[in-house]
Amino acid sequence: MADIATDYAAQGTKAKTKSLPEAVFAWLLIGPAMLFIAVIVAWPLAETIRLSFMEARLGGEQYVGLANYQELAESKKFHQTVVRTFYWMFLSVGLKLILGLIGATLLNAAVPGRGLFRVLVMPPWIIPMAIGMIGWLWLYNGYFGVLSGTMMTLGITDGPFEFLAYKQSAFYSAVVADVWVGTPMVTLFFLAAMQGVSRDLYEAAWVDGAGRWYRFRRITIPQIMPVIVSMSLLSAIFTFNSFEIIWILTEGGPRGATTTLIVDTYKTAISNFKFGQGSARAVIIVILLGIFSLLYLNVLKFVNRKYGTK
Amino acid sequence: MATLSLNAITKSFGAAKVLHDISLAIEDKEFVVFVGPSGCGKSTLLRIIAGLEEATSGSIVIDGADVSAAPPVERGISMVFQSYALYPHLSVYENIAFPLRVQKMEKADMDARVQRAADILQLTEKLHLKPGQLSGGQRQRVAIGRSIVRNPKVFLFDEPLSNLDAALRGDMRVELSQLHQSLDATMVYVTHDQVEAMTMADRIVVLNGGRVEQFGSPMELYHHPRTKFVASFIGQPNMNLIPAKVLGVDGTGVQVEIEGGHRMVLPVEAATVNAGDRVEVGIRPEHVSIGNDGFEISVNVLERLGGVSITYGTIGEATRFCASLPGDAAISKDVPLKLNVAPHDCHVFDAAGDVLRRKSAPALVA
Repeated sequence: MADIATDYAAQGTKAKTKSLPEAVFAWLLIGPAMLFIAVIVAWPLAETIRLSFMEARLGGEQYVGLANYQELAESKKFHQTVVRTFYWMFLSVGLKLILGLIGATLLNAAVPGRGLFRVLVMPPWIIPMAIGMIGWLWLYNGYFGVLSGTMMTLGITDGPFEFLAYKQSAFYSAVVADVWVGTPMVTLFFLAAMQGVSRDLYEAAWVDGAGRWYRFRRITIPQIMPVIVSMSLLSAIFTFNSFEIIWILTEGGPRGATTTLIVDTYKTAISNFKFGQGSARAVIIVILLGIFSLLYLNVLKFVNRKYGTK
Repeated sequence: MATLSLNAITKSFGAAKVLHDISLAIEDKEFVVFVGPSGCGKSTLLRIIAGLEEATSGSIVIDGADVSAAPPVERGISMVFQSYALYPHLSVYENIAFPLRVQKMEKADMDARVQRAADILQLTEKLHLKPGQLSGGQRQRVAIGRSIVRNPKVFLFDEPLSNLDAALRGDMRVELSQLHQSLDATMVYVTHDQVEAMTMADRIVVLNGGRVEQFGSPMELYHHPRTKFVASFIGQPNMNLIPAKVLGVDGTGVQVEIEGGHRMVLPVEAATVNAGDRVEVGIRPEHVSIGNDGFEISVNVLERLGGVSITYGTIGEATRFCASLPGDAAISKDVPLKLNVAPHDCHVFDAAGDVLRRKSAPALVA
């Protein structure tokens, strides 16, 4: 018995002397992931910041200090783009949240064929964005599109209406397409959250005389509030950075009516080869989204305090 | 407070019939417990009373009014759920006040009612906390508080103690009994725990397979179980059921030979059995004593609990037998043990599981 104990002790000492210090082992584990992140995130970000202080074109680059930022600060067009981007974001996210909430509530209701409806919600999210947007291009087409045709049939318009040809209609048409793509994800997250709410809570409230609307307002909404806030943040970031939808539908036109910050950045840096000015725009996007995220995290903290369980 | 009548209630889920023609009359201020094994339909019956489920047929009358088609809030009931069903995002005060807010009650009245409920349930200091910050017992009290503030005609409890540990369950049993006395209310309580049923009920409804096996006072069920199911369900430890053969029937009762060969004359009304029939003799563990002229068991397991020794063994070939004997009784494992039982303490069940009524059972305790 004593021999066995001695053997174990000896093994333990041996193992101890051979093993790496815990901190080194931890760094070894996270090292590859950190290196990967540094290569694909940190380096491009650092490079973007560096370029934003340069007059950089295909021919070369020259340090210009804060000139690119100063130019943006003085540009009325850029200010309009910032305002348009936030309007685009709030309008689109607001619609996605409202439609997502309505959709999730309907899909959560005990109706026949509920499973089928849940599947039918998915396609806008699943279909590749480019294919979906080509579909919308056809829908919005004045001569061949269903919408224009229907409006003519109903007598709303005298002739073909090109939705993407006019400033206002192009902007709202792009919003509708963006909402179409983004709503399924919001709906499914809300639905999952609603399904996590205990049925007993609704039954208890029903016994106490609470009607449908009261139960929705006082039980469903508070119970899924943390998910609503999280989804708002995620959806806001996705929408702010939404590029393909606008680019495929309008390329930011007509006359800049659908140009958001991300489209403006792309046009400046890639289409016009003004890498320095484009980088300054990209840095501003990062700063704006950073501020926005911080605000949201504070809102989330408040919501968790108000609607949390402790 | 109010009376509650269930008239020929049936309930089917598709082809499955879960409640069969249940009729009960519950008196004003009575504490009635529905007890039975899982799946016997007790919770479904309670939910039908609450209005959370619709009966397939039959009617529910509360305080003289047929409420079968009324929504829960118009039935004058309140319900405490097994999960407590507390709103996690609301404080204890808001949880208790929830039904009053639904009614849009004046703030002053609401405060008074919540305060009264909190006083009764010793929650005054906890009103500002959220349910997640409370212990299991306190959460249970909040759920009860939410019931109290509505001043319902009938309180419904759906296994409210099953999520609590054994010690707390014992305390809460006493508290609920005291609450019943202080509120003087009609209460219907569902449980699968026969100890809860025996200790708290004025009357017990034993349900099995969606049917009422027996409805009576705890002691009536203990001394006069109508069926083998009730006999084995009520009482702790469970009643022993020993296969036996009827040797003869006369005016004094029925002579049987139980498994293992021991013969007894049992004073029961034996109109439905004849010599040669197979029956089962029911003997409660607490009704046997150590003696020399009884039957023999071989002891397998011995549990010394201090005051009593729960002795498990077999009688005859392999029929299990449990005896509750004095704590310091001279018993040893693997040593045969002779046990006596008074004939008038024995129950006899026919092949269908129905009891042959005992002639000299103890008087009923109300």
